[in-house]
Amino acid sequence: MLTIDGAWGEGGGQILRSSLALAMVRQVPFRIVNIRAKRKRPGLMRQHLAAVSAAAVVSGAEVKGAEVGSQELTFRPGPLRPGQYTFSVGSAGSATLVLQAVLPALMVTQGAWALTLEGGTHNPLAPPFDALAKAFLPLLARMGCAVQTVLERPGFYPAGGGRFTVRLKGGAKLSSLLLLERGETRRREVSALVAGLPKAIAQRELASAARKLKWDAVCFRIEAIQAAHGPGNVVLAEVGSEHLTEIFTGFGEKGRSAEAVAERMADEVLEYLAAQVPVGRHLADQLLLPMALAAGGAFRTLTPTEHTRTQVEVLRLFGCGEVRLVEESATCWRVEVERAAW
Amino acid sequence: MARKKTVVISLLGTTLDAGSGTKRWDRWRPTVSLCQHEDLLVHRVELLHGRRFNSLAELIQKDIAQVSPETEVKTWPIEFNNPWDLEEVYGGLLDFARRYPFQPDKEEYLVHITTGTHIAQICMFLLTETRYFPGRLIQTSPPKRGDKPGGPGSYTVIDLDLSKYDSIASRFNREQREGLSFLKSGIDTQNPAFNQLIERIEQVAIGSSDPILLTGPTGSGKSRLAKKLHELKKSRRQVEGDFVEVNCATIRGDGAMSALFGHVRGAFTGALEARPGLLRKAHCGILFLDEIGELALDEQAMLLRAIEEKSFYPVGSDKEVRSDFQLIAGTNRPLLHEVAEGRFREDLLARINIWTFQLPGLKERPEDMAPNLAYELEQCSRAMNLHLTFSKEAREQYLSFATSADALWLGNFRDFNAAIRRMATLAKGGRIGVPEVNEEIERLRRSWSHGYTIAPGGNSLAVDTLLTRVLGPKRALELDAFDSVQLEEVLRVCGAAPSLSEAGRRLFNISRQQKKTANDADRLRKYLARFGLEWNKAHSA
Repeated sequence: MLTIDGAWGEGGGQILRSSLALAMVRQVPFRIVNIRAKRKRPGLMRQHLAAVSAAAVVSGAEVKGAEVGSQELTFRPGPLRPGQYTFSVGSAGSATLVLQAVLPALMVTQGAWALTLEGGTHNPLAPPFDALAKAFLPLLARMGCAVQTVLERPGFYPAGGGRFTVRLKGGAKLSSLLLLERGETRRREVSALVAGLPKAIAQRELASAARKLKWDAVCFRIEAIQAAHGPGNVVLAEVGSEHLTEIFTGFGEKGRSAEAVAERMADEVLEYLAAQVPVGRHLADQLLLPMALAAGGAFRTLTPTEHTRTQVEVLRLFGCGEVRLVEESATCWRVEVERAAW
Repeated sequence: MARKKTVVISLLGTTLDAGSGTKRWDRWRPTVSLCQHEDLLVHRVELLHGRRFNSLAELIQKDIAQVSPETEVKTWPIEFNNPWDLEEVYGGLLDFARRYPFQPDKEEYLVHITTGTHIAQICMFLLTETRYFPGRLIQTSPPKRGDKPGGPGSYTVIDLDLSKYDSIASRFNREQREGLSFLKSGIDTQNPAFNQLIERIEQVAIGSSDPILLTGPTGSGKSRLAKKLHELKKSRRQVEGDFVEVNCATIRGDGAMSALFGHVRGAFTGALEARPGLLRKAHCGILFLDEIGELALDEQAMLLRAIEEKSFYPVGSDKEVRSDFQLIAGTNRPLLHEVAEGRFREDLLARINIWTFQLPGLKERPEDMAPNLAYELEQCSRAMNLHLTFSKEAREQYLSFATSADALWLGNFRDFNAAIRRMATLAKGGRIGVPEVNEEIERLRRSWSHGYTIAPGGNSLAVDTLLTRVLGPKRALELDAFDSVQLEEVLRVCGAAPSLSEAGRRLFNISRQQKKTANDADRLRKYLARFGLEWNKAHSA
């Protein structure tokens, strides 16, 4: 059986989610050991268990070691079972990460899927719903898999309580993706979302972002959310280019000033704009797996992160086509994904 | 095997868990925070609350469902008129614990002690410690500097089973080892049976204040062990009072009552001053009654009452006095036999026979000769202020004799210690050589072959005494010097006199003149009976 060292690389959770996705796609069992071995609180955490149990449900998997604190997990997937599912994850866990673990397998499996995901939709250290809906899913559609998603209400840390739905028809033949240029910039927007918090926070964020980005005033807007079940704040920048849309996020949290949150996000936007690459860091991590399942392809992005390299390693372990990271300049890397041999 | 489900029992914190509106999420709410930890999956919360707080409980229930979809929240009504009243709160929680269908084989319980009044927290603790709540405690605390702001903070699970904590357990073990070593005077004894015995004695002595009965041949170390037990218990603060030792054979007769239980001034002729008695001296301490079989029946009855009631009447007093002591009794006689003979009260034996330990004689512990030799040598060195050593051959020769079948060790450690003291005294410059050893072996052999032993300090009993002939060497050894001198003379007179009456006349020759009716024969018969002797035997010796 394929054994994966969970202590390797940076993201213990990411290794696990990618392994779950690939095991279901390839219908192979795997064992992961030393899960988050070097962490202060080692082993599986509840957000990881949420991903494991969602994957187990859609694939009828046989699972061993799925317990909080467990450092070893065996996952033996069965055939995928299309249908309607609801997955809930506690506030500390991101519902978008749960989706990440199951979505690749749904895409390649014939049938209609309807998922309801509950929990955090805008959590730090996870792609916010907006990045999913505006940046990632449109690219999947371009590869041949249309995924519809609707946000019913956002969920912020720590209260959670968000909900969104995802619908797709799996089993379509996926084409390759080529994203070497982003083309001309067509849309620039910064929105500050506040739920249950003073609007002044949003105003301060927008003012700080505007100072850094120097975009027109019309690009900045406040969105006051009534539907949320708890307080929360994020500031999102959207850069719509000819060939794709990228999303950058600043998460408001207790103890960090609105200005600091917005400035950090603005710095990321500026870095991206200056580099002239189409794909940002987080999107690069997310694209690798679907591209490997499809007919491969290539994109340009910023300097690969440790997460990206970890992802490349997991793909290799599951026998996907080779992924090459080619440095073209200090700020521009070309990522080439080979079509899998299977 | 399915893992046990985690169930938290928590009182609704009417202050800490309170809050409504969006702002409540800014506050740290302990009961909600319990269900927000990434590394703690709570399957169920049993939320205890008063009816007045129904709506708060419902809100908490809803919020937990949101932050932790895996958690089920059950609410239990519990009413306290005064949540600061220990009796009421404890009673209410105890009722809950009694009613609650605990399934410890399927679920593990965490008792949350962060919410509720301090009284409620104390009650939760007490109920967990006494296992009415068969689980562990969980304490939650708000985010500290460095923790994730707005996060659930931290939690600590506290298992009240101290044996599960390595450092505490090893400390207990170390203390026990130290205790054992202490009881053995630091002698590294090797005899497994003896070591096991000491271990058990330590356990009993530390764990209980019941009477302890030490049996074993004379010189097997009963008195030393009793003294050590007192020191050990004192060092562990289990006794405060003194160690009071008395050999019951020395307090026989009229003075015995008063010696043990004290008397008031003027209780009898000559009682010019009040006397507290040994039992009262042992208050809060340990009373060691050696040779308890020698105690007369009247004193036995008083003693039994004193043990059971922790109080007694001093001689001549109509006022009870209290004394709470732990009794350690020593005997080298089989007390059951004494009971059968009517010389020992059965009820007293039953009372002191809870923990009986039979100390083996030295001969049964051949492994311990060498460590005891080293120990005694060191003791002698200290006493004589001289560095005592054995030459290698001398040591080997002595040990080989000591563990041989020839060495009877009739007086056990008494013989053993005396032998070393003699060799040490005779050795030149503190170096014990083969000549001293050979001489001592000869001395010991001779003494055992004559059926007597050499008492500590070198005072030897006469070789072939009437005493040893009548009582046998073993019992003769168990007599105090006082008794043995007296009895020896009594036996001499008995041997020479033609009848019991004549012997009595000769022995009580002075005091009989003051009596109206002569009862010399009776007095002598009673005296002999104390040593288990009858006229015929005493006369024919």
